[in-house]
Amino acid sequence: MAEPGLPPAQRAPALVFAGFLLLVASSAAVLFSEKLGTGPAAVRDFYLGSEARFTGPRSLAGLLETAVPHLLAIPLAIFAVSHVVAAAGVLGAARLRWLTRLSFALALLGVAAGFGIRWLAPWLAWAKVAAFLGLEALLLAWSALLAAAAWPPPRPASAGRAGRQEPRRQRRRRLHAPLGVDEQRLGPGGGGEREPGRAPLDHHGLR
Amino acid sequence: MRFLVDPGAGRLARARAPVRAFLAFAALAVLAHLLQRASGGGLSAEEVELHYLGAAPGEGLPRAALWEELHAGAFLYGFLLFMVGALLPTCRLRRAAGQALFAAAVAASLADLGAPFLVTALGGAGAVRVATTLLAPLALLAAVGAILATFGAGAPPRPERARG
Repeated sequence: MAEPGLPPAQRAPALVFAGFLLLVASSAAVLFSEKLGTGPAAVRDFYLGSEARFTGPRSLAGLLETAVPHLLAIPLAIFAVSHVVAAAGVLGAARLRWLTRLSFALALLGVAAGFGIRWLAPWLAWAKVAAFLGLEALLLAWSALLAAAAWPPPRPASAGRAGRQEPRRQRRRRLHAPLGVDEQRLGPGGGGEREPGRAPLDHHGLR
Repeated sequence: MRFLVDPGAGRLARARAPVRAFLAFAALAVLAHLLQRASGGGLSAEEVELHYLGAAPGEGLPRAALWEELHAGAFLYGFLLFMVGALLPTCRLRRAAGQALFAAAVAASLADLGAPFLVTALGGAGAVRVATTLLAPLALLAAVGAILATFGAGAPPRPERARG
């Protein structure tokens, strides 16, 4: 298995992409608070109109104007970043799948919630706020994962001879084995285990 | 997409046609962006200042509009820079030249994103925005051109260099 991380030549583009993702996320946060407001009530007023703010309900054309570019841009960004993170191998397959699905789901919820507030149920403003905050958090997470892919952690001193990182479970088993016997070196029956009809191995792996 | 982070010879060979098409569209997008700016007066310092600061105090562009510009620009530049940066190491360009080109494109793009805030903060400096309007697309187009030269009809891409 290859070490996690990107090839050296591909690290700078990944870091730059992570930086620009952070710019997108931070500017989105500013825009959300400036235009929609900072809570569900303000978000509801934005979509349904407010006498206090002298605003009317949002039109379909106005909602589509925001929704259409986001329906392309957000999935494209998630698609690209998830592929890079997957190829770099910095995250387990299950976690990666979970993170990707959650990102796509929150992106869809964020876009759909605006239409929902306007024409279905005003309480969906809570969903809009939750989806936005969740997607912001996930964009930060994706950026961090890209940075981790570009800056692989230093190889631990206990790494194997072939330069491979020792799996955590294997290392724990080795450390807890009697007299610190290296199970990998001993093979089956090592670490104080007894094979039927044979004497146990000593800490050199010999009988 | 995977060949961007693990560009083996086979993957690069298979990716040549779609990469060429992508680069052609990227170049068109950058040119259209430049044309859009130019047609809106983006190549004149006075027009730029009028656009952001307004004809009189208090008539300038609202803060949200500046952030909207940054939001859209960060996605566009970020995505293009990632693609271009991942493809540049496979080019026949010298490694240092490729790195310098990528660094210039990143710096020019960041400057272009920040220029509107500079104009409103200083109450002028429209010339800075004019400069970044030209520099960012030029740097991106130069990088796209360098990659096209490799992924076009010329010599095959160099996977061993892309792996660093």
